[in-house]
Amino acid sequence: MTTVTDAEHGHKNITRRRFLTAATSAVGAVVAGMVAVPLVDSLEPTAAAEAASSTTVDLTPIEPGMQVTVPWQKKPVIVINRTPEMLASLKETMDKGILKDPLCKVPQQPPYCTNMYRSRVPEWYVGIRICNHLCCIPHYRPKKGSVAPWWLGGFHCPCHGSMYDLSCRVIQGSPAPHNMAVPEYELSTEKMSATITHMYPKAHLC
Amino acid sequence: MSMYRYLCFLLVSMLVPGLAFGAADTVHWMTPHYTFNRTTVIAGARYFADHCMACHSVSSLRYEYLTADLGMPKTEVEKDIMLPDGAAFKGTIVSPMPPDMAAKWLGKPPPNLSHMDRYLGSKFIYTYLLSFYWDPARPSGWNNYVFPMVAMPNVLAPWGGTVGPKGHVIYPGKLSPAEYHKNVADVVAFLRYASDPSYFKRMAIGPYVIGILLLFTILAYLLKTAYWMDLKKGGGAGMRVKGGNK
Amino acid sequence: MSRFLVWVNKRLPLDETVKEHLTEYFAPKNFNILYYAGSLLLLMIVIQLISGFFLMAHYDPTSQGAFASVQGIMYDTKWGWLIRYMHVDGVSLIFILLYAHMFRGLLYGSHRAPRELVWIIGYIIYLLMMAEAFVGYVLPFGNLSYWAGEVITSIIHAVPVIGPPLTTLARGGPGIGTATLQRFLALHVVLFFLIILAAIAMHIVALHRVGSNNPDGVEIKKHNGPDGKPLDGIPFHPYYTVKDLFGVGVWLTIFVSVIFYAPTMHGIFMERTTFLAANPMVSLPDVTPPWYLSPYYAMLRAVPNKYYGIAIMITSVLLPFLLPWLDRNPVRSSRYRPVYKIMLIVAGISFITLAWVGEQPPLPKYFLIERAATALYLGFYILLPIISKIEPTRPVPERVTG
Repeated sequence: MTTVTDAEHGHKNITRRRFLTAATSAVGAVVAGMVAVPLVDSLEPTAAAEAASSTTVDLTPIEPGMQVTVPWQKKPVIVINRTPEMLASLKETMDKGILKDPLCKVPQQPPYCTNMYRSRVPEWYVGIRICNHLCCIPHYRPKKGSVAPWWLGGFHCPCHGSMYDLSCRVIQGSPAPHNMAVPEYELSTEKMSATITHMYPKAHLC
Repeated sequence: MSMYRYLCFLLVSMLVPGLAFGAADTVHWMTPHYTFNRTTVIAGARYFADHCMACHSVSSLRYEYLTADLGMPKTEVEKDIMLPDGAAFKGTIVSPMPPDMAAKWLGKPPPNLSHMDRYLGSKFIYTYLLSFYWDPARPSGWNNYVFPMVAMPNVLAPWGGTVGPKGHVIYPGKLSPAEYHKNVADVVAFLRYASDPSYFKRMAIGPYVIGILLLFTILAYLLKTAYWMDLKKGGGAGMRVKGGNK
Repeated sequence: MSRFLVWVNKRLPLDETVKEHLTEYFAPKNFNILYYAGSLLLLMIVIQLISGFFLMAHYDPTSQGAFASVQGIMYDTKWGWLIRYMHVDGVSLIFILLYAHMFRGLLYGSHRAPRELVWIIGYIIYLLMMAEAFVGYVLPFGNLSYWAGEVITSIIHAVPVIGPPLTTLARGGPGIGTATLQRFLALHVVLFFLIILAAIAMHIVALHRVGSNNPDGVEIKKHNGPDGKPLDGIPFHPYYTVKDLFGVGVWLTIFVSVIFYAPTMHGIFMERTTFLAANPMVSLPDVTPPWYLSPYYAMLRAVPNKYYGIAIMITSVLLPFLLPWLDRNPVRSSRYRPVYKIMLIVAGISFITLAWVGEQPPLPKYFLIERAATALYLGFYILLPIISKIEPTRPVPERVTG
């Protein structure tokens, strides 16, 4: 918008006006941002939703070799109390070379679970029990030889036959592309409890 | 109910607590003396956890806010404040007393104190806590000048002492009056924080927000004068008229 | 860009509208501080819309969940406390602006011919704002919300014939419950709000049709320059857009100061009884309306008779509609009508006194002042037609004085 002004003082004034308009607009934009950011942030999950979004599992009733599957954010989470034999089978499976991603290169688990056990503490596995292929819930088959003669223990999906070891790492020949996802969680062996908090953002569930 | 009867009912129901507050007219209201800062509120939170949380919840607050707003380390919150069984850091601060049993044991469930400070005021709560007296006619043995016939017993009697209806000391408390009053003031400070945890955040951000707005206002004023200088010469309609208008 | 604008202008009256209402709308050049209120009210209604939207994203309109959902906003939602305080403090600040805006109108005769419709539509906006505020403050479902809802819907009950069925329709059940909250939310967010927006648009259109008044009450269109434009007028844009921007800056600074440093204004903007959950068994120790409705409540109480009290209250709410015709003096602005000015100031002080008295408990010691203030306030309207005909006036200037 230009307003006709006197030619004498016009130039100086127009420059001053333009500068002030720009300056005021810039600070005005900052003010608008200051208002917009909290408003948009308010739509994030509230503290109540966050609190409800964590589930705590009591580990005391889980015997060695047994598992417990609990609902968390409408997904099944499995907690396994792995025996020393089960832990040994993990190494055996790796040596046999039958895993698609033995070193967990694909980030299906938080950094603190990027190891052979895919957990914080070797004995306790915490993971989302959803087959990476098309989202079914695999059967838990810990007994050696139960699914096939070479079976060392793991998971077998009834829908399309995907197979996983006892760290939920996918076995070759399965239609599932990646290892099953592991969520972010806290675990305390003194308190004997595990709290599942968030999905690991880089993981693909299925 | 007709409007007239309704207004009468309201008027009378206003009188009933008024009768109670009739005694309140003779109450000597005491103002708690504290500096409302994080240290005081943390001290009040500890005192609350030790003496009040057995019966009273502040269920709008979560334990994690004590860390986020007051800077209380998580380990201390877990050790000193998260006393009820099954308390979660992100969970709400709820008393372990089951409300139905509370109603049985005390006659009335202990109220949730989340907003009590905003509802009744710090002065009321402080004076109330310091106004218990021994009254054998009551089932709990306690009565209160500020809230006659209250169901709450004087939980703080061991520290503040027991006083009879005429004001004479029956048992002295473990603490000196100054110390005891400080503890009670701390608890009131905590309840004030519980009513409005945004306080510390507001005090922290406020100066910056107002600073930016003042900057905007100053620039806008300069912009306004830059345009309105035209009119000083007396022109109308946005045209600068040489020689002024008539 | 200009080709794009040419394309748009063939399809929408963009340039004409901007000319008619901004760059070639000539407003008097002597607007004073009271003239900021209009644009600030526009700003505030936008702020209420935005803050209200974000509140509604978390609000639960059920009798079990409403109070808890509001506490969830205050404690658990990120920045929820800021949004809620914006909305609640916004209401009180809107009413401060409304009263300043209306007082300015009466002070300078902006309600007189040919601007009667501007005044009428504006007063309708005021009544709608009161209704909007009322349904709004039932929603948090504190004890104040509950009993306010009970009492006001009971007043409707007292209206003969249509009262009782209307009360049932308003409540949707016995007492104030989920059904009430749901329909009050619908009224607050949709119906009343949209009607207010439409009324504001009409208000501005009506104003621009006849042109703005000014503190001297003289018609600037009477004296045009050789170009046909009023000598005492200046184009709204850029002069008043830039001045109103400055007003926005000052006002937002005040608004933010209230939100951050006195969000409840010590019980005036947010009453203490909002902080207790709704309880049909416990009525309030004090039955006070919010401060902006308090004058009418005081007038209702001043009359010790049920029907006359309600009649006086309704009359006092509706009388201002008649003001353009009650005032019969040819001079517009109180600057040149010393008697009218005094009457206006007395009426204003009475109104403020009534607001204060309405918040006090109904004790006999307040009766005299309550009744005196009511008499003075209503007296203004009753005496105006008589006095305006006979009062002495000062000579009115031809051109604005500034």
